Amino acid sequence: MDIVETFGSYVDKLSADNPERARRLLKTGWEAQNLRFRLMPEKRLLPADRHMAQLMMETMLRPLKRPEDSVVVSVFTPCELMQEVGLNPYNVESFSCYLTGSKAERAFLQQAENAGISETLCSYHKTFIGAAQSGLLPAPKCIVYTNLTCDANLVTFRTLSELYQVPAFVIDVPMEQDEENVAYVAGQLRELAAFLEEVTGKQILEEHLKERLARSRRTLENYEKFQRLRADKYVPADLVTPLYSGMTNNILLGTREEERYTEELLRDIQSAGPAKGKRVYWMHTIPFWSEAVRDALYFNERMQIVGCELASVCDSDFHPQKPYEAMARRMVYHALNGSIFRRIDAGIRHAKEAGADGAVWFCHWGCKHTLGGAQLAKKKFEEAGLPLLILNGDGCDRSHGGEGQTSTRLEAFLEMLEGEKV
Amino acid sequence: MNKTYYVCKYTPIELLTAFGGECANMNEMPKGFEAAEQLAHPNICGFGKALLEEVMSGGVRELVLVNCCDTIRSVYDVLKEWGQMDFLYLLDVLHSSGGCSRERLTAQLEKLAKAYGAYCGRSFDAEKFRNAFLLPKRLQEPHLTVLGARMGTELFEMVQRVMPLPVENATCVNNRTVGEQSPPETEDFHELMEWYAGELLRQLPCMRMTDLTGRKQIYNAPGLRGIIYHTVKFCDFYGFEYAQLKQYKDLPLLKIESDYTVQSSGQLMTRLEAFAERIDPEVYQGREKKMGKGYFAGIDSGSTSTDVVILNQKREIVTGIILPTGAGAAIGAERALEEALKKAGIQREDIDALVTTGYGRGAIDGGDKSITEITCHARGAHFLDPSVRTVIDIGGQDSKVIRLDEDGAVANFVMNDKCAAGTGRFLEMMARTMEISMDELGRTGLHYQEDITISSMCTVFAESEVVSLVAQNKSMDDIVHGLNKAVAAKTAALVKRVGGQECYMMTGGVSKNQGLVRTLEEKLGTKLVISEYAQLCGALGAALFALDMAE
Repeated sequence: MDIVETFGSYVDKLSADNPERARRLLKTGWEAQNLRFRLMPEKRLLPADRHMAQLMMETMLRPLKRPEDSVVVSVFTPCELMQEVGLNPYNVESFSCYLTGSKAERAFLQQAENAGISETLCSYHKTFIGAAQSGLLPAPKCIVYTNLTCDANLVTFRTLSELYQVPAFVIDVPMEQDEENVAYVAGQLRELAAFLEEVTGKQILEEHLKERLARSRRTLENYEKFQRLRADKYVPADLVTPLYSGMTNNILLGTREEERYTEELLRDIQSAGPAKGKRVYWMHTIPFWSEAVRDALYFNERMQIVGCELASVCDSDFHPQKPYEAMARRMVYHALNGSIFRRIDAGIRHAKEAGADGAVWFCHWGCKHTLGGAQLAKKKFEEAGLPLLILNGDGCDRSHGGEGQTSTRLEAFLEMLEGEKV
Repeated sequence: MNKTYYVCKYTPIELLTAFGGECANMNEMPKGFEAAEQLAHPNICGFGKALLEEVMSGGVRELVLVNCCDTIRSVYDVLKEWGQMDFLYLLDVLHSSGGCSRERLTAQLEKLAKAYGAYCGRSFDAEKFRNAFLLPKRLQEPHLTVLGARMGTELFEMVQRVMPLPVENATCVNNRTVGEQSPPETEDFHELMEWYAGELLRQLPCMRMTDLTGRKQIYNAPGLRGIIYHTVKFCDFYGFEYAQLKQYKDLPLLKIESDYTVQSSGQLMTRLEAFAERIDPEVYQGREKKMGKGYFAGIDSGSTSTDVVILNQKREIVTGIILPTGAGAAIGAERALEEALKKAGIQREDIDALVTTGYGRGAIDGGDKSITEITCHARGAHFLDPSVRTVIDIGGQDSKVIRLDEDGAVANFVMNDKCAAGTGRFLEMMARTMEISMDELGRTGLHYQEDITISSMCTVFAESEVVSLVAQNKSMDDIVHGLNKAVAAKTAALVKRVGGQECYMMTGGVSKNQGLVRTLEEKLGTKLVISEYAQLCGALGAALFALDMAE
């Protein structure tokens, strides 16, 4: 995410006194970066992934350009209904990542903490709240969120709704996986459809929604197939592409662009060379800003990331003909819903499908679900034959660094994986 | 049969009692988190770790949890895998209190009843169920209330001891209100559970619920004179409520944070005492002293230095002394007082009243009264310059920002949390890393060329950043300026939190650090008043309180 940092430092400085100017600057900086993605893409990436960088940048630019057509969501909210009413969903985590990519996060984190928000709250949430409080981010049309997998959602999005004075809709997802719970969530999604129709004045046609859900299903099937096909291939990887896949597979799932991306992936994997070096599967977010992680994994033939759990959170076994139940099923049977063992099992399965030699469990600051399950994950992954490195850090806030420690751990993990081969 | 422990107010205690269970709220604070940190992670909420510790130590055999938050979900997962409890259950309470939610909770209650009945081998006793509903008691007389994240038993007892008014614990599980209504006269179990689910959900909402409107009633209660808002490290729900409360509520408000260990409670004593002094000024007026020779002393026993000020009855400073505290607060204070008496040319008997303040205030014998450094700094600063409304004191162990009213009384204050970042100790450690003295550190950094940012907030990580900057041959001025910026940012954050107003005074030893003063002035966009008595401000305030005692 090589966004023009100079802009970021100005945004950081200006945000307190002149948020509108800071916003204009941010938009200009990101547009420049988008142009760069188009004219000078990172040639080492698969062509599909080069397009993805652009697609993601455009998704983040939309709320700055047309806030009145945007909807703020929590990352695992199904977005097909919003796409049907012409709203552009964008999630708190991705947006905060882009602010960090522009080195503009510090002032916003501080702003939120000054207001009394806990220092230990997830940094993605805190950065976004700070940016909203300082006036950098314009009000969206509405907010849609869910408690699914992240309890911080409950407080963050309510705060944003009060701050922006825009309507919010919350989808309450029970923990257990059964048909009653699917029906309960489907009922709420029907209410969400009515909410969106009222907010936008547009109508959701069930037939169109079914088509969109069929597209979502094809997209997920393509991605599952791609992950299996890459098992014996070398796919050059930076630190953000696995995250882009994770984010777009959620907020853009159901769009033609996302489906096209997965089709391109299937095309590109055909011509990829044989597997090289050690391959790690990444659990939770990736601290793309960290030099230590970059040194260990950025276009590194000795060790690469072959998948991120955030891109494989639900299965494609839903029926598009029952669109509300289909979306509800994705939520109730979501890999991160319920007990940590479901998440761990999904991680092991997907890591093996992608041909991983080991996995990293990234303990992102503030993510209690990931932190609380770290030791259980280590035990289960290793019982399944996958060495697991527990890595502490922060996906977004540089001040929770500890670069020396990160570097030593990743290097030692690689040495350990290579040693096993001998 | 063992006690069945619970942690959440949505737990169906009355249902468990109807099966003959004896229920208790698990609220003890452990000494440390050794087992919990091995099984989970150091950065989950302190209460979750306390719960794991208690279970691992064998104190809890039966536990009914609610999916309150991600930490409690994790605690359940860890304990399930551990597999050594007699009864462990997680109740999935939804986040809204609407009709659907009630229906689903009814089903959950029936499922729990089945599991618990099978475990204890008893059946549901409707009479026991009805008798379990007791009307919750609430204070009506003038009182203080503790709000926010759950407060451990030991800490709450300490709060009760320190405060001048009765204190109510209305945190988390402690504001359970089930019992205001009695169950309907029906024998049908399903009907009873339907009603009961409604009662559980009708309570004052917890922060995990989607609609929080009902929470306002706790801070609008009759008789409420002040709020102590408690948060637990790594529990993030309540910071949001605090952020709102501090904007809108015109009641004395103190924010404290604990990590749920007994040790962390001890460190909160100064803030609690300062708050008590604010609630009830009588607390520091003390018994009346007879005017004798007309000399009054204040001793400020800090972690780095011990300062003494002696005043005469005309409120003139006769002498002021600053000595290193050394190994013990009591000996340090004795030595500093002797030194001050010698310098003033008077005897111990000539001192009519002596007030102690600072971290070591409780350890000093022979004082007539002990008052927190918060109240003393405010008093001292007001004496030195009555236009001062905000005092910034960067101490060795902690930093504090105090807002005063026009009479010099404390209107509000904040202190940094248990962390060296942003304190005098942080600068001392960095000076040691760079092998320069504190005096040199104070002068360096004024003429920087490159604007370096130290990004780590943690002192240990910041130290390794400094080492690597030194290795990169960065100039000492540039590095020190980066450090000053880090401390200034932390301090400015405290100023914002307390709602700092003009004019600002800086007190304490760090006010001699010119580089830091200048950086902080830039950050705040204002000038700082620095008195020649800046370092003696706390002791001066104490001496003024001593003088009050005789007047």
